[in-house]
Amino acid sequence: MIKEIKEPVIEVHNLTVVYDRKPAIWNIDFTLPKGQIIGVMGPNGSGKSTLLKAIMGVVNANTGWVKVAGEDIEGVRKRVSYVPQRQSVDWDFPATVWDVVAMGRFALKGVFKKLNADDRSVIEESLKKVNMYTFANRQISQLSGGQQQRAFLARALAQEADIYLMDEPFAGVDASTEEAIVQLLKQMKKEGKTLLVVHHDLHTAQNYFEWLVLLNTRLVASGPLTEVFDTALLEDTYGGTLTTLTKVAELLDKNDMPMRHK
Amino acid sequence: MMEAFQEFISFFRLTEPNVRVVFWGSLILCASSGLVGTFTFLRKRSLIGDVISHSVLPGICLAFLIGNEKNLIVLITGASITGWISTYLIDVITAKSKIKTDTAIALVLSVFFGAGILLLTKIQHSGYGSQSGLDSFIFGSAAAMNFSDVKLFGIFGSLMISIVLIFYRGFLLISFDEDYAGAIGFPIRFLKFLLSVITVITVAMGVQSVGVVLMSALLITPAATARFWTHRVPLLAGLAMVFAGVSGILGSAISYTKAGMPTGPWIVVVVSFFAFFSVAFGSQKGIFPKWIRRRVNNKRILGENILKVFYKLSEGTESGYSLQELISSTPVKEADLMNGLRILQKNDLIGKANDKWFLSESGFREAKSVVRKHRLWELYLSKYMNLKADHVHDDAEGIEHVITAEIEKELEKLLDYPTVDPHDSEIPYE
Ligand SMILES: Nc1ncnc2c1ncn2[C@@H]1O[C@H](COP(=O)(O)OP(=O)(O)OP(=O)(O)O)[C@@H](O)[C@H]1O
Ligand SMILES: [Mg+2]
Repeated sequence: MIKEIKEPVIEVHNLTVVYDRKPAIWNIDFTLPKGQIIGVMGPNGSGKSTLLKAIMGVVNANTGWVKVAGEDIEGVRKRVSYVPQRQSVDWDFPATVWDVVAMGRFALKGVFKKLNADDRSVIEESLKKVNMYTFANRQISQLSGGQQQRAFLARALAQEADIYLMDEPFAGVDASTEEAIVQLLKQMKKEGKTLLVVHHDLHTAQNYFEWLVLLNTRLVASGPLTEVFDTALLEDTYGGTLTTLTKVAELLDKNDMPMRHK
Repeated sequence: MMEAFQEFISFFRLTEPNVRVVFWGSLILCASSGLVGTFTFLRKRSLIGDVISHSVLPGICLAFLIGNEKNLIVLITGASITGWISTYLIDVITAKSKIKTDTAIALVLSVFFGAGILLLTKIQHSGYGSQSGLDSFIFGSAAAMNFSDVKLFGIFGSLMISIVLIFYRGFLLISFDEDYAGAIGFPIRFLKFLLSVITVITVAMGVQSVGVVLMSALLITPAATARFWTHRVPLLAGLAMVFAGVSGILGSAISYTKAGMPTGPWIVVVVSFFAFFSVAFGSQKGIFPKWIRRRVNNKRILGENILKVFYKLSEGTESGYSLQELISSTPVKEADLMNGLRILQKNDLIGKANDKWFLSESGFREAKSVVRKHRLWELYLSKYMNLKADHVHDDAEGIEHVITAEIEKELEKLLDYPTVDPHDSEIPYE
């Protein structure tokens, strides 16, 4: 089930990303609608994070391309905000919550331009939106998992983008924080933002998303929730039907066989 | 011994021109490696620092052989080239083969250092003789610097520092979250390249005073030490510079006391002293301050618990109790109880007469306050967290020691100045 969209906000075409010969995503092709909350789901190691990184151009595509708002990512970077998986950084790094959120402004200011009073008020706003303003001066090593997650969200908000790619924003947060984040996402959607959210919980997915992308190295489905949330497709995503693909991938890796190259 | 000490002191008078040269040279070299090393430390590339420092040796020797003399610019260039090649090789090996980073590091380090030693031996046994002075690069010799060297170090050092200041934001972001740096469009390849270039050059210069064997310690230890005192990167970098600079000067001064003594080991001894001191006493993560904080808290909790015992025994009436009575009405161990009583007595919170302990006026007030906090918290839990009355006590036992006066006021207001707790005990006010 792959539903195509006219004038998509994100268009992924024939995308393959290979790490050390092992494909993490394989021939992915889909289009996403503007102004929706879109879920990306799939088991561990299915390439969700890789997909987000490839859209941001942080990892190179071996084949295929991505267009965001009809353009190459380089042209629209400022309008796209990325929230990496929380575990991808070392939270023992010497920084305060404020320092982390300020990084969101670097997206607009670049490497050299100084932050000014406007930037500071945006940072303050962003912290307040995720209810972290009282923690602004807290060192990040002393945050709980949920607070770390909210700090990352505030950093993304500080960029004031239109499109948000969030890698597991609900991982390790408690129920009330999750609810607060969901409300925030819905509010953002109302303001016309597009949100692409990697998520793990099938039960809540139905309440959160309007559009769903199912991934397991290859694309299993992409379409409106009502059409995609279907037992057969989910089984295809999470079940064992993909063992052949995994086996081939492992063979490629083990025998040093070349995957397709550019 | 006395004589050595006098020599050491005389170093700091900076009267002799060559002492001045060593002083400024060591300061510049070491401070800049403290600063640049901050990012090596933050990026967790300490081992790479070690590879670079060992790999500059063959470069120095080759530069000497090619240039046929000990020209500092030529030597630094040679050192930087092989140092750079070594890091590049590690990246290539780990990217293109299945060899893991630690193996690649060991491989490159031993090959380059081995080649360096081989070349060095060859130079020393050849026509140049031992006067080449190249062996001073093994353990460093600050005394071997001359005035024009220091001028050069000054120029390079300020260049390194300016680059770090200019690109600070970029270096910071690739150290904390490289993916994010890439996602917001920072030129991460360039930033990484620039950072390794200045690291290589800093190391190539630093080996003059510290030597290739110990150089990586000077790169990493100052920043690692500073981490025990701060959780902000600007301060961390500043402190690392201070630790490294001071170590450089002290190490040079110590080695100055005896002709021919290498500088590097002394510098590293001093910087390690800072490190040990910081592990023990550092305000952020030091063992001792943490221990003190915990002890102070424990003492306060013990004291407050004992006051509570008095209060509960009397529930308001003032009378004295024997030690035996106190022991039997609290789970606190006897030794702790004795200790706690002594502290409370010292603070005039309790007094003793006729072998009976009793609360003083201020002790009574203090006890009431603890009990009040306890009962307010119980009430808060049962009202706002929907906990049953018999479930709130244990939690309150801990929280009563944490609640500050402001929170207490807030609770009172929130609960509308209650008079009894969930167990219908009176909440005592002033
Ligand atoms: N930098 C890397 N180098 C090599 N292999 C990688 C790298 N990053 C990811 N992989 C591999 O690529 C595959 C996809 O990884 P990815 O992180 O995209 O999965 P994911 O769906 O986000 O998983 P999770 O739910 O655990 O976050 C995995 O098999 C992983 O081991
Ligand atoms: Mg992931």
